[in-house]
Amino acid sequence: MGLDSLVALGPQPAEPEASRSIGRRIIGRAARSGGFRIGLAILAVLALAAALYPDLSGIDPNKMDVRARLLPPLFGGAQWSLGHPLGTDQIGRDMLVRCLIGLRYSFLIGVASVALTLAIGCTLGMVAGYFGGRTDTVVMRITDAQLSIPMIILAIAVLGVSRPTIPAIILVLGLSNWPVYARVMRSVVMAERGREYVRAAQVSGASHARIVVRLLAPLLVPPLLFASVLDIARMMIFESTLGFLGLGVQPPTPTFGNVIADGRKYLLNAWWIATMPGLFLGLTLTGINLIGASCERARNAIHGGA
Amino acid sequence: MFVLSFLARRLAQGAVIISLVSLLIFTLLRVVPGDPVRLMVGGMAPDSLVEQIAAEMGLRDPILVQFGRYAAHVVRGDLGHSFVRPANGAATGGANFDDTTRGERAAVADLIRDALPMTLQLAALALVFALAFSALVGIAAGLRPGGVADKVAFAVSSIFISLPNFWLAIVLALLFSVKLGWLPAIGYGGFSYTILPALVLAVELSPVLIRTLSGAVAAQMSESYVTVGRIRGLSETRIVAAHVLRNAAVPMLNLLGVQFSGLLGGVIIVEYILDYPGLGLLTINAVLQRDFPLIQGIAIVTSAIFVVINIVVDLAATIIDPRLEY
Amino acid sequence: MGEAPILSVRDLSVALAPAFGGRRLLDGISFDIAPREIVGVVGATGAGKTVLAKAVVNGLDQTLSASGTVRFRGRDILGLDPRAMRPLRRDIAYVGANPMGALDPTLPVGRQIAEKMRAVAPGVTEGEARRRVIALLEAVRIPSAARRFHDYPSQFSGGMMQRALLVDAMISDPALLVADNVTQPLDVTVAAQVIRLMRELTAQFQTAILFVSSSLPVAREAAARTLVIDAGRLVEEQPTDALVARPVHAYTRELVAQIPTIWTGVPAQPRSREAGAAPRPIISLEDVSQTYRARERGTFAGTGELRAVRNVTFDIAKGDSFAVVGESGCGKSTLMRLLSRLERPSAGRILCEGQDIARLSGGALLRFRRKLQLVLQDPFDSLPPRTAIGAMLEAPLRIHGWRDAARIRDKVRAVMNDVGLSLALYDALPLGLSAGQRQRINVARAMVLDPEILLMDETLSALDQTEQFRLLALFDKLQSAHGLTYIFISHDLAMVRKACNRVAVMYLGEVVELADNERLFFDPGHPYTRALLSAMPTLEERRYRPEDCLLDGEPPSPIDLPAGCAFRSRCPRAFAPCAGQSPALVTRGAGDFASCHHVPAPGAGLAQAVAMGSTG
Repeated sequence: MGLDSLVALGPQPAEPEASRSIGRRIIGRAARSGGFRIGLAILAVLALAAALYPDLSGIDPNKMDVRARLLPPLFGGAQWSLGHPLGTDQIGRDMLVRCLIGLRYSFLIGVASVALTLAIGCTLGMVAGYFGGRTDTVVMRITDAQLSIPMIILAIAVLGVSRPTIPAIILVLGLSNWPVYARVMRSVVMAERGREYVRAAQVSGASHARIVVRLLAPLLVPPLLFASVLDIARMMIFESTLGFLGLGVQPPTPTFGNVIADGRKYLLNAWWIATMPGLFLGLTLTGINLIGASCERARNAIHGGA
Repeated sequence: MFVLSFLARRLAQGAVIISLVSLLIFTLLRVVPGDPVRLMVGGMAPDSLVEQIAAEMGLRDPILVQFGRYAAHVVRGDLGHSFVRPANGAATGGANFDDTTRGERAAVADLIRDALPMTLQLAALALVFALAFSALVGIAAGLRPGGVADKVAFAVSSIFISLPNFWLAIVLALLFSVKLGWLPAIGYGGFSYTILPALVLAVELSPVLIRTLSGAVAAQMSESYVTVGRIRGLSETRIVAAHVLRNAAVPMLNLLGVQFSGLLGGVIIVEYILDYPGLGLLTINAVLQRDFPLIQGIAIVTSAIFVVINIVVDLAATIIDPRLEY
Repeated sequence: MGEAPILSVRDLSVALAPAFGGRRLLDGISFDIAPREIVGVVGATGAGKTVLAKAVVNGLDQTLSASGTVRFRGRDILGLDPRAMRPLRRDIAYVGANPMGALDPTLPVGRQIAEKMRAVAPGVTEGEARRRVIALLEAVRIPSAARRFHDYPSQFSGGMMQRALLVDAMISDPALLVADNVTQPLDVTVAAQVIRLMRELTAQFQTAILFVSSSLPVAREAAARTLVIDAGRLVEEQPTDALVARPVHAYTRELVAQIPTIWTGVPAQPRSREAGAAPRPIISLEDVSQTYRARERGTFAGTGELRAVRNVTFDIAKGDSFAVVGESGCGKSTLMRLLSRLERPSAGRILCEGQDIARLSGGALLRFRRKLQLVLQDPFDSLPPRTAIGAMLEAPLRIHGWRDAARIRDKVRAVMNDVGLSLALYDALPLGLSAGQRQRINVARAMVLDPEILLMDETLSALDQTEQFRLLALFDKLQSAHGLTYIFISHDLAMVRKACNRVAVMYLGEVVELADNERLFFDPGHPYTRALLSAMPTLEERRYRPEDCLLDGEPPSPIDLPAGCAFRSRCPRAFAPCAGQSPALVTRGAGDFASCHHVPAPGAGLAQAVAMGSTG
């Protein structure tokens, strides 16, 4: 097929596009889609707010202010106030600031755990796919075994013990998701390992490490990075689920999970305590998911030869 | 013949996996701090009594010895008795250590046997909702990449996947049950109580199903047998219905096998929030109460279900596509 | 002219849609096909032949825009909407160049053919369709047709699949068949049979054929009249024999001239061994075998033995241009992997200058890798996509311990010059380069270590005739300058005739004949060699006739090898001993060997001996 296009009607125009690295092409293509832009805008606003608003506004997320308790959000009820745009909770703490602080932690934990997942999953997957045979079988059985334990059970069992620390949470989350990456990496490496240029490198005498690190990794890891963006969102949900069950970052530090859990009791008369954080989280995640999904589409299009 | 050899091999592997998982959970529970005996007898009991009861229950023996004893019982069908739940059906135990009304403990097998069908019903209904919706949106999206259905699928799956399931359960309960009164939400009093939890789970499942389905359908449509099929004289309907969908089913089946793990996580949360008396609620309570035998029993049952589902899925995939080898 | 033409094309032009560049693929093509006539279309790859074939059946991709008329039985079908076109699909059939991708891989082949039958002829019942399919499968000589009906596409070989697709095309009794490069993916012996079958079937059903091919000799087998297409334009149209004998247009003349001659006037004489000298073997294979275990479907835990290479013994002398030829499944790829030490043989030894290469490791292995280098087949797959050319050529040097950057650069520059690559490409990526240039990079990569032996794995198969010429000239130059030994692994006997002095023919894992170039082509000792030579597409008078040399059928599966001679099932000269005992290589004098029971043993008492490569 490629032969056709090159040996055909005269010299072909050079393709400047094709000479940029795959990663940059994927970003370029994704950046042109509407979904990506909307997602990026949402995230940018939220990131700025999370970074700056709590300090700028001077409101302490943990300070009780009984006079201002149970204020509804903007236009939500009778006594809304501009100083508390998302209302206050049952002891007068400002919802907006709490949500933004929660966002900080969510984001930190989400990104860190995905980084851990990538590290473990890609390494194991590459080793399994490249060497094949027994190494492959062993790694695959481990992934099977891990996939058969719902991580939530494991997480609850491990974290339900004493005060969960942030590193422990990151560890549990990071360890929960690596099998998927290992599997994908393995099948991609297996397909690529049979290609002729790998064979050529082997015949030249290159060592396995050299082939894996220099030839295969730079080609195969970047597409996985794009897929991992969506997993950041998933990890953030997972973290807030743990928080909801009381197994995440502990109060008084506000996280989405524990705020919603708290707000459950007041659902009927102060619905915003439980719903606002969820909306916030949902918005953040929509932003991340739009970006991630656009990247994935761009990747499919480019790998499909478009 | 092939089916038999396949089944034999996979069941053997499955047995190994179940044993490994069981051992893992068993060990983890005993290694991680948090003493079930303390929880059982209450905070007021003296340490000496705690030690005595623990020794009687065999909790101070080496872990492998304990596991051996446990495995011997399991093979005979005895999953043990709950540390906490009384046989008379009360939800939680933990009365004072000298309370004589505690009496018999519930058999783990019984507890699981009561809870499992509820969860299966919930999971089945969620799957039906999710598949119906995803098929509608996903197939239409895959047939015309870049078209309207495709954009709708993209938007819908991006939004659905961003909604945390626990929050959605709360909001939907608020909306459909409290404000609108269309569906019952908490507990269980008939089949209609399954609908709301199933909806929440379906929302959680759909995005991945839609994405995979539309991707698989789009990939199949660009295969050469589709263009050749048109030239050979097959109608477009026939090509899509009899060939494309059939081929696209294989990656979908694979996906369903993997998704089960995640689905169970969602079931646990949703049952907990909506107080739906299924396996998930049982699990959370068991973990929070450090009810070892119950946790172990549930772990065995869930990994057995996982093994069976994967076997079924792989078998179906091999039947559809004879090139696959499992 | 008696009847009206069944197909009438006027002024057909096809271009890419403006959104995709608007490039012209076909320009003003006009021709007719009379009923029951076979018309050939030839041209280089990319000339537009497949576009033409698809346009004729109204199967053009949506990214293409077409103008002009294509009249089938008087009715213009170009651009006709699918609904109106479907009834016509009964009478217009198409077979393409990709047999393995043409059917749904998850359904049985027979059922899909029956499905097509019932789609284009709605009145037919299921049972009737089945019977017709099986009857036609038998007509194309697919063994056990009734059982094969239920087999899946992956269980068919390329040749069988192409036959099944012929059945699929002919099952509705079409008036016109468009055959688009149907023999390109097939081995020569299988291709010859497929063409013969196609002619039989279409004569039986009285179908006209538009036979598209990139090879003029192949088109000549089938077509009475031939069109020549160059860069989208129809440049010549003549009865085929006249076209070959007296081409009119410059392009056709060049095309005819470039087709390699096997039997008459070989342009460059390949080096032959000096008589009397006893050249030292630089590579020696002693009873080498390679067996793989493959899990068998349908049995409990059974594994079958795939014997890819069986008891291969031969020597290669220093300075030889040695060829290993055979069709798919003969074991030459496995042999290549064994020679380049990518795998170790399960039995036997491979010696390089006396050392068993299977035992090498560490520094000794690296030294061996310096001595024997591999030039690969696929010009696109064999170059890492994101590495600059200079870096690609430097890599082997660095792996072998070279450190001085200046020395490395100089060496790479010298090699690039040697091989004919412009130095400006040093820092460029290999994108946009032609296949020939990419192969030069492959050669340079092999040469940069100053090897003594070059292993060429189908290196020229992916190239045009002109590129092949150029590269062969380069190989010649390098061989004289550096005293190289070449080992060619190929299925292209024409190239081998030109470039190699010694040839080994493989079939199902064994070497069935080993001889000098001249002897092999003009006095082959093994029936398979004769069959191979008879099936080679050529414009010259054939030396061996295909009908005499090859019986119909497929080679047996390498997992279940029958006892006795592996070629027995297709050999027209098979007799009693062939079923019992597998023949061993017997010398026919002067270093030529063949393994056939018909070859007389040399002298009395000297029974079948596997002789080494000594002069006779």
